[in-house]
Amino acid sequence: MSRRTGITNIEILAGVLVALAIVVAVIALVKLDVTGEKGSGLGKEFIYDIEDLAKIDPNLILYEESAKAISTGFKSARAIAIDFDGRICVAGDKVIRVFVESGDLVGEIKLAGPPGCLTVTDDGKFYIGMKDHVEVYDGQGKRLAAWQGLGDDAVLTSIAVSKNDVFVADAGDRIVLHYDTTGKLINRIGARDEDKDIPGFVIPSPYFDLAVARDGLLRVTNPGRHRIEAYTFDGYLEFSWGEFSSNVEGFCGCCNPVNFAILDDESFVTCEKGLIRVKIYDPEGAFVGVVAGPEQLVEGGTARIDEWASEGKAGGFDVAVDAAGRIFILDTIKNVVRIFTRIEAGK
Amino acid sequence: MIRLGYIIISIAFFLIVCGIASGVERFPPPDFVETGYELPSPTTPQPRQNIYEYIDAVVLLAALGLASYLVLKKRSRRAIFVLMVFSLIYFGFWRKGCVCSIGAIQNITLSVFDRDYAVPIVVAVFFLLPLVFTLFFGRTFCAAVCPLGAVQDLVLLRPVAVPNWLESGLRLFAYAYLGTAVLLAATGSAFIICRYDPFISFFRLSGSLNIFILGACFLLVGVFIGRPYCRFVCPYGVILRQLSRLSKWHVAITPDDCIKCRLCEDSCPFGVIKVPTAEWPARDYDKSKKLLALLIILLPILILACAWAVSTAGDLMSRTHATVRLADRINLEESGKVKETTDASSAFWATGRQVKELYSEASNIQAEIKTGSWLLGGFLGLVIALKLIVHSVRRTRIDYEADRAGCLACGRCFEYCPREHVRLKEAKQTVGGSE
Repeated sequence: MSRRTGITNIEILAGVLVALAIVVAVIALVKLDVTGEKGSGLGKEFIYDIEDLAKIDPNLILYEESAKAISTGFKSARAIAIDFDGRICVAGDKVIRVFVESGDLVGEIKLAGPPGCLTVTDDGKFYIGMKDHVEVYDGQGKRLAAWQGLGDDAVLTSIAVSKNDVFVADAGDRIVLHYDTTGKLINRIGARDEDKDIPGFVIPSPYFDLAVARDGLLRVTNPGRHRIEAYTFDGYLEFSWGEFSSNVEGFCGCCNPVNFAILDDESFVTCEKGLIRVKIYDPEGAFVGVVAGPEQLVEGGTARIDEWASEGKAGGFDVAVDAAGRIFILDTIKNVVRIFTRIEAGK
Repeated sequence: MIRLGYIIISIAFFLIVCGIASGVERFPPPDFVETGYELPSPTTPQPRQNIYEYIDAVVLLAALGLASYLVLKKRSRRAIFVLMVFSLIYFGFWRKGCVCSIGAIQNITLSVFDRDYAVPIVVAVFFLLPLVFTLFFGRTFCAAVCPLGAVQDLVLLRPVAVPNWLESGLRLFAYAYLGTAVLLAATGSAFIICRYDPFISFFRLSGSLNIFILGACFLLVGVFIGRPYCRFVCPYGVILRQLSRLSKWHVAITPDDCIKCRLCEDSCPFGVIKVPTAEWPARDYDKSKKLLALLIILLPILILACAWAVSTAGDLMSRTHATVRLADRINLEESGKVKETTDASSAFWATGRQVKELYSEASNIQAEIKTGSWLLGGFLGLVIALKLIVHSVRRTRIDYEADRAGCLACGRCFEYCPREHVRLKEAKQTVGGSE
């Protein structure tokens, strides 16, 4: 102890240590890179590099673009369908436009709001999914019916008609609604139900598609689970196929496929967003080949993949098929319809 | 009691105003079976499953109840210590220090200012429960439930007294920290309480080296100066101090009457034991009265001066907001002052968004933070002025007693009181007699 000041050695030591700790703490705080300006500091395992995944083996590509792209004139094209006469019907902005293969506009139906989806029946009726309700039009553009609204949460993204049954995919409420053709609600399909072994739809983004297959089962995408599920009209889940993979055989990203169509041979044509790919799967869900990949579908192809963040967001392309097996891809980035035909064997 | 009722009603209303929600997992992470890719471990803990969150809330309630019983009824430092170690293990190491009541201040603030943000129920519970218990029983949360307090309490080996003036001055930092944290959370800029939590690296056994060093420094200081984070930094402690002043029941050094033996005088490592005061000489009284009058006159000047001083740092504070930083960077790139791009600026350019739109958004945020910095400065000026006023007023005290605001209810002083020994002896005899 220092007798003169009354301060003990331990207090001097404590003072020195405390002062030292404060200096070191201040330096540690000042040197801390909280804004990430010195880089993320994360290891290689965190790097998200999809350029290699965007490249597709040319041997897997089974289709080629067979006609000049049809400009729809839309600012925001949303959905595509082929009618009984093979005409191309496109929904977008606040209108439905009907084109022939040459690209000439042959019809138009004006709508009160932006459409989300459409389908055309064999007798020429247009079933159009608006944001929260269905509207029915005849071929001349006369509105035949407007069904009851489904509430603020509803976001209708797909519609299919099979004889007297109408199925509507509601991405907002994560449910498929089963109506008759007069708009009477019959059933709700796909809600989580452990007794029926139905896991429920996982829809992280507003892409939720459905179609009725020739086998009489309803096919519905479950994008968050990366698969397509088959339901009876009564709402029983029969089977499903599809799995996550960034490789070409599977469905990539958080939630894919976003849209699909069914060919006459019951094969599936699927569209993926993010890593924009259109692919073919056989009726059992086995990967068959590619219609077009990022190289074919996005300007600049894989070289621009790191820059197309906004395009990737708009890249929920829609797809339709005609009786001849041609595939019509609605490019929602450029708002054009591109037509692909299967490459003949030996070509 | 009426005042207490008003406060409880106010807190309840405050929570109703905040959006409260229970968390739901939107969709499972993708499975990388065929590629063999393994998801890297995140540096922040995985969200806890719902059931565990509710268990955590129940454990918190039980720990607070038990702490209050041990402090006020049982008066056992040893039992408080055991509960403190349990809390350190459960809330610190097992729950990885998150959610914590201290950080919850930011969630609650953000929910008040951003209607799109909903506070998870468990976060609201972690924020609210210690406040309610403090209103009734004093700072029993600090005593044995808070893991940040516990880890510091364990390393307190050679306590050194901190002079009152220094203690009071350093405590201003906690007010500034609280005010800054509220301002930055309200503007959606940053959750600085979590970002600079010095003990989180210990609890998670991972994280930034700098934060680990910061935590180690706090613990080293804590060997000599009891609970430095709790006393001079903790923003939640600032709120608890005010509520503890109003608490219905409070820890007392002596179980019955103080005999003024002075044995407890130096027992508190946190310097919160107030000694009895002598009669106030008339001369001092007059002098103090003049000083008080002067301080009251100076109060608005002090508030304005502090508000202006802090407002000059408004632009610097706005840099904590990601949008403002991005706008600065884009401005540099646009004017050709820098050639290379950052991850954030590359992402911005890729969106095709208008630069003017970004600048406008950043300007609005800057203006909000600037206004907030005036308010923050005014708040600090008010705190400083009130502290000066409180120090200018001499209070008469006849017993040795723990300062209601500062007492952490650790129970160290109990065994220094001879009346406590008498109580224990009597209790023992009662138990023996009944046997």
